[in-house]
Amino acid sequence: MKLIYRIALRLSLTLLPLLALWATLFYVIITAEINDEADDVLEDYSELIIIRMLTGQELPPPNDGSNNSYTVVPVTEAYAERTPHIAYLDAEVFIPEKEETEPARILKTIFRDRHGRFYELTVATPTFEKEDLMKTILIAVVALYLVLLLTVIGVTMWVFRRSLDPLYALLRWLDGYLPGHAVAPVPDDTSIAEFRKLNAAAQQAVTRSEELFERQKQFIGNASHELQTPLAILRNRIEWLLDRTPLSEEQTGELVKMQRTLNHAVRLNRTLLLLTKIDNGQFPESSDIDLARLLAEQTQQLEEIYRSRGLRLSLRIPERFTVRMNETLASTLVGNLLRNAFVHTAAGGRIEISLSDGVLTVRNEGTAPLQSDHIFDRFYRNSGNPDSVGLGLALVRAVCRYYALDIDYRFERSAHCFSVRWK
Amino acid sequence: MKILIVEDEPSLREVIQRALEQEGYVVETAADYARAEAKIAGYDYDCILLDIMLPDGNGLHLLETLRREGKRDHVIIVSARDSLEDKVSGLEQGADDYLAKPFHTAELKARIRSVLRRGRNGGDRELVQGNVTLDTESRRVEVAGREIPLLKKEFDILLYFMQRPDHLVDKAVLAEAVWGDHADQADNFQFVYAQIKNLRRKLSEAGADIEIRAVYGFGYKLSCAEPRPKP
Repeated sequence: MKLIYRIALRLSLTLLPLLALWATLFYVIITAEINDEADDVLEDYSELIIIRMLTGQELPPPNDGSNNSYTVVPVTEAYAERTPHIAYLDAEVFIPEKEETEPARILKTIFRDRHGRFYELTVATPTFEKEDLMKTILIAVVALYLVLLLTVIGVTMWVFRRSLDPLYALLRWLDGYLPGHAVAPVPDDTSIAEFRKLNAAAQQAVTRSEELFERQKQFIGNASHELQTPLAILRNRIEWLLDRTPLSEEQTGELVKMQRTLNHAVRLNRTLLLLTKIDNGQFPESSDIDLARLLAEQTQQLEEIYRSRGLRLSLRIPERFTVRMNETLASTLVGNLLRNAFVHTAAGGRIEISLSDGVLTVRNEGTAPLQSDHIFDRFYRNSGNPDSVGLGLALVRAVCRYYALDIDYRFERSAHCFSVRWK
Repeated sequence: MKILIVEDEPSLREVIQRALEQEGYVVETAADYARAEAKIAGYDYDCILLDIMLPDGNGLHLLETLRREGKRDHVIIVSARDSLEDKVSGLEQGADDYLAKPFHTAELKARIRSVLRRGRNGGDRELVQGNVTLDTESRRVEVAGREIPLLKKEFDILLYFMQRPDHLVDKAVLAEAVWGDHADQADNFQFVYAQIKNLRRKLSEAGADIEIRAVYGFGYKLSCAEPRPKP
């Protein structure tokens, strides 16, 4: 969830109970205020009537057009004693003029005239409909909530966007960042201290990781270079022994085995150098490579080498398929993919190589899926083949990355299936 | 034939020197840039093996100096950096060849022979062993003046042996050299044997006096009935 949506959601959720509370308070206060006003009027009115009654003056007409009404009823002393002498209450009264009942505020007063008789005076004044008020307040509050919410969110969004712009600039920059590729420095055109700090931290982290990346590349490159001379010495010394000294079969065998192990080390070293060079992007010169021809040639070569295995081969490639690539890298890509299939297929197994619509697919029979997360890792080896260096597929991936090709592994219909897509 | 080895690693210098002296060359050595510069200034060599990564300077500068002074010494660059750019810039500055470490002794000897031959008669197309002549450019092989037809792999194998007479060639190394990278990792070398068998048959049917002999089942060696001519 984006931060801005989270903020909007939280604002809406917080405003809801707040406004409900506010609406309740508002209702209570308004009701109290209105009742208070009505009570004042009723008090004055009842006072007037009582004074008139006590002084024997003429009572006002029951309805003087003000909607106020009154009744005076004589009551017993016992009633007067058990009833509070002044009582306010809300009730529905029937208004004869309108012929309907209306909510009214009522004041009941019990008084005694000079003859000692008790009367109960009930004065009523029509008042507001509480439900109407509640409804009105509810509508107002909902409207207020919506308007307030929209305003608050709108303003927040605007302020948010304005203030967090540097953060989004940093995030956009991070999206575009690829380790090992030259990048523009972290954007830092803000005066806000926190963002400046964040940008500086990001820049520092990236610089450090770039340095590490660079150093690691250099280390592998240097180590491999440094190894070349001792390897050359060993190789030449063994060859000297083989060529210049009379040797028994056993001695020759030992030396030849040493030489093979040494060749293994030489290949390992060479492959690491090649990987370093690919990572460094040191293959600038491209040419038009006929992938179909390359596939045919390499397949034929491998078929000859692995003839004794009796592999069943199917090659479905077009007449021509030209891509723009570096020659060494193209041959590294194709060679390692094919070799991988030939080396890891059991005797009599089936290998299918196809090239169509810019997708090169190499399928070879296998028993169980490989760990697709790791097969392209350096030195990941699934087979027990001691001669396998474990760098072939790492090379394939490095080349694919270099040319931004899609490489995919899947296991289907009991076959390993590698495919490379040219875009 | 005088050869100068410019190499900072003493052990490698020693093995190269020993191998080349054994071939009958007069060999001198220089361990660093300064000493190499002094030697080059003072003497002429038929061939200089130049390591371009020296502790006190870049070997390519030596090459530059050499060419600026108009010296025609042949130069073979020996480098731990097997990069195309180094190769190209080395050859552009007038090196005759470029050899990446770790090289085989036989390879080095073959390159030196080739460079020296090029210097002598302006071409290194022909290799001769006994009564067998191999033309590297037209890819023709003649035995006692009569051409024998060879398939591509057979030719490549013969070429490899002709460049390394009397040298024990491991089957695995041969496989890698002729069939390409990683061919030495095959389960068996039946495919090498099959080609060698055909090649041997063709050579002997044509009456060649060279022979590719198996050595204890590990590899092969090209031997010649006649003593090999000195380089």
